[in-house]
Amino acid sequence: MSELLRVEHLKKYFANQKAVDDISFSVSEGEIFGLLGPNGAGKTTLIRMITGIFYPDSGSITFQGKPFDPIHDVRHIGYMPEERGLYKKMKIGEHALYLAQLKGLSRTDALHQVKQWFERLEMQSWWNKKVEDLSKGMSQKLQFVSTVLHEPKLIILDEPFSGLDPVNSNLIKDEIHRLAKNGSTILFSTHRMEQVEEICEKIILVNKGEKILDGTVGAIKQQFKQNHFRIGIPAPTEELLRHAPFDLIRTSEQQQIVQIREGKSTNDVLRYLLDQSIPIHSFEELLPSLNEIFIRLVGDTPAARQFQIA
Amino acid sequence: MYKTFIIIQREYLTRVRKKTFIISTLLFPLLYFGLIFGMGYLAENSKQVLNIALIDESGYFKQTELDQENAIDPSSKVSLVSSKATDVLRDPEAAGFDGFIRMPALDWQKGNDSIFLESKKSYGSGTTSAVQAKLNRIWNRIKNDSLSIDESQQAILQMSQLSIRPKNMEDASANANLAEVIGYIAGLLIYFILLIYGSQVMMGVMEEKTNRIAEVLVSSVRPFQMMMGKIIGIGAVALTQFLLWIGFVFLIYNVTKASGNNMSAASEIVGTMQEVITGINMPLILFCFGFYFLGGFFFYASLYAAIGSAVNEDLREAQSLSFPVTMLVIISIALMTTAIANPTGPIAVWGSLIPFSSPIVMMARIPYGVPGTVPWWQLGLSMLLLILGFLGTVWFAAKIYRTGILMYGKKPSWGEMLKWVFRKS
Repeated sequence: MSELLRVEHLKKYFANQKAVDDISFSVSEGEIFGLLGPNGAGKTTLIRMITGIFYPDSGSITFQGKPFDPIHDVRHIGYMPEERGLYKKMKIGEHALYLAQLKGLSRTDALHQVKQWFERLEMQSWWNKKVEDLSKGMSQKLQFVSTVLHEPKLIILDEPFSGLDPVNSNLIKDEIHRLAKNGSTILFSTHRMEQVEEICEKIILVNKGEKILDGTVGAIKQQFKQNHFRIGIPAPTEELLRHAPFDLIRTSEQQQIVQIREGKSTNDVLRYLLDQSIPIHSFEELLPSLNEIFIRLVGDTPAARQFQIA
Repeated sequence: MYKTFIIIQREYLTRVRKKTFIISTLLFPLLYFGLIFGMGYLAENSKQVLNIALIDESGYFKQTELDQENAIDPSSKVSLVSSKATDVLRDPEAAGFDGFIRMPALDWQKGNDSIFLESKKSYGSGTTSAVQAKLNRIWNRIKNDSLSIDESQQAILQMSQLSIRPKNMEDASANANLAEVIGYIAGLLIYFILLIYGSQVMMGVMEEKTNRIAEVLVSSVRPFQMMMGKIIGIGAVALTQFLLWIGFVFLIYNVTKASGNNMSAASEIVGTMQEVITGINMPLILFCFGFYFLGGFFFYASLYAAIGSAVNEDLREAQSLSFPVTMLVIISIALMTTAIANPTGPIAVWGSLIPFSSPIVMMARIPYGVPGTVPWWQLGLSMLLLILGFLGTVWFAAKIYRTGILMYGKKPSWGEMLKWVFRKS
């Protein structure tokens, strides 16, 4: 896969705050890439630089192998901001047409695309309705359609699921996967870690304007695993635990969460349990959630507490 | 360019298609003409006859002469009353009069300047001066008789007057009275356009911010295109409304002319318009009107756009921030009044050169004649300065707009907004 977007040493300082402080990462074509971080971490500022709304103070953005040109490259970017809205008094069909034309599509192309998308998402009957008559979920759908109408190479979605019910969330999720399969690259920004685990292949984690870590979701979890396992055995006796190659973390009647001691392997654990003739129902590695990893990385800061509540 | 055009198109069409646009376009001239005709009708039909008792202690006034004068000016009826009629003095209304005048013993060579029209209600100077004129005509005849001036000599005394009117040497068509009227109308029209459509620009920008569509838009178009699209689109709406009104006026003019209507008010309008069209340099005035309308609109609309981008949904914030700008427009109207009274005075000249007031003040001066009252160099300089002025405000506003449109939270002060303008991007 070739590289679509490369961001190098990007910086943006506002009067009294480092909104984005030396962030670098790259996104390949067809990837679903997660931009993660608490509110105020600098995600929106970062995105605004990638969409050409802000100029970076320093650093470079490369799009499709060339320096990013805000005037021409916006044609290939679709951006759905977190703060998104529509003109209330406009008709829905006209509204979608208008936004498509602002992306540079001719009226005929725009009409063709809007019709196709309205058909796929079963929105044809909405054409002459006014935006103010739409429910929140319906207008989110219209916003999503407006974002992808012009077949952008890079689709940037900032908190796309906020305010959506599960049915519409799933619909958008399916569309995201479909677009990625058809070759679009998706940059997905959120503070909801659990959504990222489901959708994204690669992520970058930012806090207070700085990159904390990046990589594939699987690799990150491997990197931060703590040798925690869930074992399907009855609650162990003290006698059993005394010589065991693991420490008990949490216990219940049928399942035990344990941490394997330094220098021991899973086979050591299994062998020990078999030697004691304890029936094993299940044995499973527990990988940390991105939430846990984040909290471990930033410690007990206000940013971390925000996640614990979420 | 294509994107700016798309924005202009949307801004224009959504406004022109609105019912309020159609209604206000139709209603304004109807209200305007309704007011003129209505006032004429009221003035014609609601004339009350003022019944005044004259208690003449001088012995100069006779009922026959008063009757003659009453017939000439029927707005009041003055009747002689005996000086013993104390009931009139006590309560004129009970005696059937609206008021009374007690004429003291007079010396015809001196007259008297403290005669009162006494009444229970108060009458304005218009009413009293009509009565005064009536009695003075009789008084003049009394003086003439005393001086043994006969009727033909009297006529000479009355008719022979010196009348001085302004006449422009350079521009034969200049007509000061007409210029005053046209100047007023042109100045006021620009004033209304600046205020009404300027605030429409401000509201439009605020709407985009409150709706949270601003960020969706700035990811597709430059903020500058967004702002200019809005300003030009709304300017086009103003221009459309304007052309419709001009069309409307010409329609009425032609209809009333063709129907040969002898309604006094209608034929008066036709007469005035003919005088206007033939009496002044119409093409120049129309061209200048178009120029100052556009220049002034760009100048102020960009400032209003900047304010709209800086505030949040709160209308009071917008009002307090736009107060200085609105004050500039109002000051211009004050300058215009001075300029009309004295179109070559220093206030008129400076007011018509400085860009913030030139659209209103210059438009009030131009009907007095170019190059007679307004030399070509002043007109040229004023136009150049206005172009520089609006390029300046557009540049200034674009800087504020860029930052303001994505800024939520506390309302910035003018000081903070100036910082946005002058920091490096």
